[in-house]
Amino acid sequence: MDLVLTQIFNGLQYGLLLFLAASGLTLILGIMGVINLSHGSFYMLGAYLSLTLTSLTGDIFLSLALGIPIAFAFGAAIEWLFIRHLYERDHLQQVLLTFGLILVFNEVQRILWGTFPHSVPIPSYLSGSVKLFGLMSYPNYRIAVAGLCVALALAMMFVIQRTKIGRMIRAGESNREMVEVLGIDTRLLFRFVFAAGVTLAAAGGIIAAPIESVYPGIGESVLITSLVVVVIGGIGSVRGAFVGALLIGLADAFGKVFLPEFATGLVYALMAAVLVARPGGLFGRA
Amino acid sequence: MLRRPSALVAIVLTALVVAALLVPFVGGSYAIKFTTRVLVLAIFVISLDFLIGITGLVSFGHAMFFGLGAYSLYFISPQAEAANALVAFPAAILGAGVAAAIIGAFCVLTRGFYFIMVTLAFGQMLFSLFYTSRIAGGSDGAYINVKPEVALFGVTILDFDRRTAFYYFCLAALVLVYLGALGLARTPFGRVLQAIRRNEQRVGALGVNTYTHKLLSFVLAGAIAGFAGVLFATIDGYVTPDLFGWRQSGVAIMMVVLGGVGTLFGPILGALLYSAIEEVLKTGSWVGPIANHWSLGLGLILIAAVLAWPRGVAGLFETHAPPAPPGRDQPSGDLQAERPQRGKALAVEGLTRAFGGLVAVNDVSLKLAPNLVHGVIGPNGAGKTTFINVLTGALKPTAGRIRLDDEDISGRTPYAIARCGLGRSYQRTNIFLPFTVRENCLIAAHARHPSPFRLRAGKFAREEEHEIVHALAATGLSARADARASHLSHGEQRQLEIAMLLASGARLLILDEPLGGMGAEETGRVTALLRALSVNHTVVLIEHDMDAIFAAADTLTVLVEGKLLAHGKPEDIRRDPAVREAYLGRWGQEIVR
Repeated sequence: MDLVLTQIFNGLQYGLLLFLAASGLTLILGIMGVINLSHGSFYMLGAYLSLTLTSLTGDIFLSLALGIPIAFAFGAAIEWLFIRHLYERDHLQQVLLTFGLILVFNEVQRILWGTFPHSVPIPSYLSGSVKLFGLMSYPNYRIAVAGLCVALALAMMFVIQRTKIGRMIRAGESNREMVEVLGIDTRLLFRFVFAAGVTLAAAGGIIAAPIESVYPGIGESVLITSLVVVVIGGIGSVRGAFVGALLIGLADAFGKVFLPEFATGLVYALMAAVLVARPGGLFGRA
Repeated sequence: MLRRPSALVAIVLTALVVAALLVPFVGGSYAIKFTTRVLVLAIFVISLDFLIGITGLVSFGHAMFFGLGAYSLYFISPQAEAANALVAFPAAILGAGVAAAIIGAFCVLTRGFYFIMVTLAFGQMLFSLFYTSRIAGGSDGAYINVKPEVALFGVTILDFDRRTAFYYFCLAALVLVYLGALGLARTPFGRVLQAIRRNEQRVGALGVNTYTHKLLSFVLAGAIAGFAGVLFATIDGYVTPDLFGWRQSGVAIMMVVLGGVGTLFGPILGALLYSAIEEVLKTGSWVGPIANHWSLGLGLILIAAVLAWPRGVAGLFETHAPPAPPGRDQPSGDLQAERPQRGKALAVEGLTRAFGGLVAVNDVSLKLAPNLVHGVIGPNGAGKTTFINVLTGALKPTAGRIRLDDEDISGRTPYAIARCGLGRSYQRTNIFLPFTVRENCLIAAHARHPSPFRLRAGKFAREEEHEIVHALAATGLSARADARASHLSHGEQRQLEIAMLLASGARLLILDEPLGGMGAEETGRVTALLRALSVNHTVVLIEHDMDAIFAAADTLTVLVEGKLLAHGKPEDIRRDPAVREAYLGRWGQEIVR
């Protein structure tokens, strides 16, 4: 019972982190029509920003506050330098260019930070654990991470539901061609969406760093898993990404305990099952 | 459509083969090993290009078959002796092919981005199976102690432990795989695959089961990838789960795109170029201290290549065919046919199609006699297009029966219905734009005998040629036969649609607004063509142009809000008070006059 509860918590917390990466990915794909394989690299960027900024400032939350604008600017710059050339190109070229970006980012990471894994300290005021429901103890920091993810998700919902740029995003989500017809400045919209996606992924990397430790290639498993989340949820659907991320998080957490040999395979099997039932994903247009 | 390589390409490829033949004489064992890897990777990526560039299936998990081929060698090889390549290689090919059939049966159901992701997922599933389990050494990989040999009756003919012998074997294999893939792409089967890549829906509507074609292509590509995998395992005598991984699949896509998608020779250049860049950046003395960070350079070069050469290296060899001369023939319709043939009769009973609460086609019953032109009219939103989508199988009927002559076709798939002799054209021009007029008709003619196992035009060649010539003459496109469909005028494109239907052997033609967007002179010509076509065909015409349809049709059917309002001869429809009141409304008076 104890184990099941702990795994539910682990699964939800991992799922929420995944959501940060996957929501950006699904918006970039749904609105901009770009398959961004380098999305995992932005999660990695977050993890290493966390490492450096925490050693400078001494606190993970200060790192988050500093890291968010850095990641946003970085995302906007990458969009301007590379991604904007891809809008009119087919999927293959997008795959090729963003794969090239992965190689570049991985190498830059090696040059700047080296190949050894590092750990990022949990702040002292969150180092303990708390007893939940009287039967299990759960680390404080993980709870804080889950809370932060929920806060970021809510902030995102607010932006999407209540602001002008959010209206454009929603319009793009339901019909990409229409946005262009409606005379919305897609250059601005795309740059914002891309930079926001990068920021969300990086924010995930920053706050996950004390849990996961920081190592080269950290972004690749996040990328592949996020792509699975996007497919399960349906391309372009933020709600789908949320549900998909939690599903994958739980499947992964339980798989690791009960089917350790096939934990990774389980995630893909789940995706295959969803696609058989609903070829367009849970919340996608088929 | 894929043509025979130009003289320039043939010269370059021959020069490469000659250079490859010389490598063992001028290079050391390292050069031989490096070139062997390139040859084997080239085989692998040709198979991927067959999938991506010929069939249009972008697989991001193609390395799974490469990995399976490699691991089959490990499983087959005895501990301390050489496996016989004559057993091991076919087994690897067969194993990869069977796996591709099972995995492909599922993957091919999906399209576009979902196909990319599902193939990726299957690749990762296999990767994690071999990585986390203890099969064949798990994540550490495993060694194949003794390399395979080719033995016949216990006599060793080729020992693959000898680098040079294996090298020449791989070179020969690459040449054969390239020529085989090129030949296959130019068979009726391969041409249909290329058409599927451009416009799958259209190929299906011509009567081709696109699913089996795509699946067969997936299996072939998987089998060839398995062959490449078993060769790759022979190079180092070592297998690792990374062979299955998404990076391996990704690199293969890089090589295809870098070389030139859909050219089959481009990927060979891509494999060579990619490997060469990687090798130079890793070991080249002039790169000095940055050799440690070779993948940085590789990444930047890839990015630059995408931005600068969107068509890959092969794009540099492209020659542009001169545009075909303009020309105009008078369409002859079926008037030149030796003897009139009977068109198919169509009967529908109680046909209904609902979308949720909206009933777009409501209990329509109708009989359309053969060899006449039947017009279907109705205001916007009357359910005309839904009606033909149900007739042709693009939508399943909610209720009711559809009979073509005596055959009940209700609820069948579009390609099965098309095979019964019902052909349709689309409201928006729906042809294979990159192909020539003749190639468009060729695809349609192939659909008469659409077995995916048709590798030669064979006994059907004369019949097909005859049909194409006839279809082009009937629609007045003979002079434009070698023009690219994208270069045709709008009117000519609409005529090409009809030509494709004729070439496909359809006996009942459903034409969705064939006159749309045409000027008066073109309208007159096409209307005359439709009349002439009814000598051999039954024609169902959906049209907005009232003058034209009243002039062309033998019977008229009026749909309003999904219901059949009236059906009869044009003059009766013209006088029908219900039609006048309910439908013709504002222009009713004008038509009556």
